[in-house]
Amino acid sequence: MNPTYRNRHRTAQAALAGALALLLAATGCSSKAESGDDSGKAADGLRTGPGVDADTIRLGALTDLTGPYATLGKSIVQAQQMWADEVNADGGICDRTVEIVVKDHGYDVQKAVTAYADIAPGVVALPQVIGSPVVAALLDDIERDMMLTFPQAWAASLLGKDAIQVLGTTYDVDMIAAVEFLTRTKGLKKGDTIGHVYFEGDYGANALEGSEWAAGKAGLKVAGQKIQATDTDLSAQVSALRKEGVKAVLISAGPAQTASLVGVAASRGLKVPVVSSAPGFAPQLMKTPAAPALAAMLNIVSAAPAVSSDLPGVRRMVASYQKKYPKSPVDSGVLSGYNAAQLMGADLKAACEAGGLTREDVVQAHRAQTNADTGLGTPQNFSDVDRPASVETYVLKPDAKAVGGVVNVEDAHAAEGVEEYLSAR
Amino acid sequence: MSDRPLAALTRRRASLPLLAVVLCLPPFYLDAFWLRIGLFSMAAAIGAVGLALLSGTAGQLSLGHAFFLAVGAYGYAWLAGEPGPGLPPALAALLAVLLAGTAGGLFSPVAARVKGIYLGIATLALVFLGHHVLLTADSVTGGFNGRSVPPLTLGGFTFAGSDPELTVLGVPFGAEERLWFLGLALFAFTWCTARGLLRGRPGRALAALRDSETAAAVMGVDVARHRSAAFVVSSMYAGLAGVLLALAFRRVVPDYFSLALSVDYLAMIVIGGLGSVSGAVAGAVFVTALPLLMTRYADQLPLVTAPGSAEGTVGPTEAARYLYGAAIVLVLLYAPDGLHGLARRTRDRVRRRRTRTSAPDTAVPASPQPAAPARPKEHTP
Repeated sequence: MNPTYRNRHRTAQAALAGALALLLAATGCSSKAESGDDSGKAADGLRTGPGVDADTIRLGALTDLTGPYATLGKSIVQAQQMWADEVNADGGICDRTVEIVVKDHGYDVQKAVTAYADIAPGVVALPQVIGSPVVAALLDDIERDMMLTFPQAWAASLLGKDAIQVLGTTYDVDMIAAVEFLTRTKGLKKGDTIGHVYFEGDYGANALEGSEWAAGKAGLKVAGQKIQATDTDLSAQVSALRKEGVKAVLISAGPAQTASLVGVAASRGLKVPVVSSAPGFAPQLMKTPAAPALAAMLNIVSAAPAVSSDLPGVRRMVASYQKKYPKSPVDSGVLSGYNAAQLMGADLKAACEAGGLTREDVVQAHRAQTNADTGLGTPQNFSDVDRPASVETYVLKPDAKAVGGVVNVEDAHAAEGVEEYLSAR
Repeated sequence: MSDRPLAALTRRRASLPLLAVVLCLPPFYLDAFWLRIGLFSMAAAIGAVGLALLSGTAGQLSLGHAFFLAVGAYGYAWLAGEPGPGLPPALAALLAVLLAGTAGGLFSPVAARVKGIYLGIATLALVFLGHHVLLTADSVTGGFNGRSVPPLTLGGFTFAGSDPELTVLGVPFGAEERLWFLGLALFAFTWCTARGLLRGRPGRALAALRDSETAAAVMGVDVARHRSAAFVVSSMYAGLAGVLLALAFRRVVPDYFSLALSVDYLAMIVIGGLGSVSGAVAGAVFVTALPLLMTRYADQLPLVTAPGSAEGTVGPTEAARYLYGAAIVLVLLYAPDGLHGLARRTRDRVRRRRTRTSAPDTAVPASPQPAAPARPKEHTP
């Protein structure tokens, strides 16, 4: 019995020693050991870093194709893919073909964070990140990696970060424009009350900040109604707003909430103008029973023009998108995705001309753009990290017959008081 | 005959260091993506062990595990960070675990009063309450965008990408590689303490409580004290898991700590097998790593297309969901006592076959655990 024990013991020791030896020997040939510094110079003398090699530039997209923003995600992915195909057909950027690595996180933070760890070493920038919680969870990583990122979120709290660029206006600026639009065209005057239905979280909080500031300036009162993303029946909110005697309603929520609010308000005789933030409308709403009420009561403030607008750039894009994806609806996601991709392309071109395509070079090139105009809306200025890239907003209106379900009502302009608001913040 | 248990013991003793060596290997080979999955799995394992103790062994259904994870994660981020007291991170981590324990202790009077599904509903309230507080208490939690998590430092060594720069055997050691070893250490600690608890008097007392409170009380088990102690200890494990999760995420956001997370943890202990530590660990790895890996590699499967390619096709995430769902159904169908029971039965079968070929008279399967296998008994009304 004893010899058996000793034998066993010896085998154990041998196994352990063997395993250790194996570990030492094998790490010698671990691919991680020899990788070293990624950045270097390509054959053409260009500084390159992660995501760029002699013949490709890789961009990443963390998107939602299976979660609550699946429709938006799909539009953006397809629009950006279309852009990449167009660019590649034209000879690419910096003599390299552009490739977009798409990862679907389904609006799940943990999946998104792992997906980021997966793609980050192999991409130079992220022209698409969907989901405010996702963006929030990745803020530090993105900053550390200096990965130029265009989030599909417009909260002012994302400003002030070198590597993160909110495109267009922020939610608060949109709402200031909305209040200005109401007072200018719908005859609201001092002492009136406006309702503001908003999502709990970043989006709603930032929008409310804007509406309260603008209402304070105009002598209006804001009756806020906080809702959850899961609330899709707003009857209670409509009753509460009615009791407050509101003369107009702002809404910063999702399309389902906008449809419920407008539909319920119309059926209960609360016929007041409603203005929504840009994410609060989707063309699919115009196929619901709420469509007539939406067409009669709703306006949308947005940094991007309507997809049906007659800007030559927009018309060209819509035509080629419809040709490439005949079955997909053309919504604002297509426009914003394509716009983001074009801006990214401009940054990459500028960085290439300056002699480098490392992540730092791309961020630097991006921050040097003071008048980036893609022909898809208003020009943007990226040089001041603390300021929204643009302060000009369009006012849109639902129209079931138009492409994308909306038409322009007012062209882009900076609302009165926005400058004052931004300098006071 | 008498050398059988001894042989089993030495084999076990030999396999333990081997296992430890194998677990130390990944940082030398795998990239950050795999290491993150590993870290998430380790954190989930720690949390699941806590829940296994509470729901599996003590029979108290808890849907509030996400809340205690959040207390640990946010507690650490706040205590060690700015704004906040800015304590040394190691101390903050310890305090965060204690804080989670305190939260569990404060809730335990409720746990002592309601049982079964009612306790589940009561703990559900914690998740919603917690989520609301996380969103609104901006100065502490950072609101919707959450707050960044300061890296852990232990005696001048930082568990982050630099300070000091570290290269081991030619492999540069970044945050993930370092955290891997921290995770392993915490996991080993959890494993040992939880097994000790379960195999000792407290574990037997809790199992007795689960099976029949009256019988347990007659045997001299202090019912109220044991029930609340189970809650406190389980919350402390959850707090520890929260700290590790926070370190792995590097930023904590409220939306992660939702009801879905609690449900995931319940799934872990059910899939793993109620009432065992190794089962909880296996379940944690299953529930955490499998969906992530499937999402990553589903595009290699036939008929699965690249994300966002065309109308009416199955993308990797959808495919991963189908597969994951199928995997859960399969596990529950063919291993109703969880992965732990499945492993034990396979081991017994292998051993029986081996003994049948050598000496048929030694076919006495050595029970790997002194504690009787937990009966999946949901509630004692």
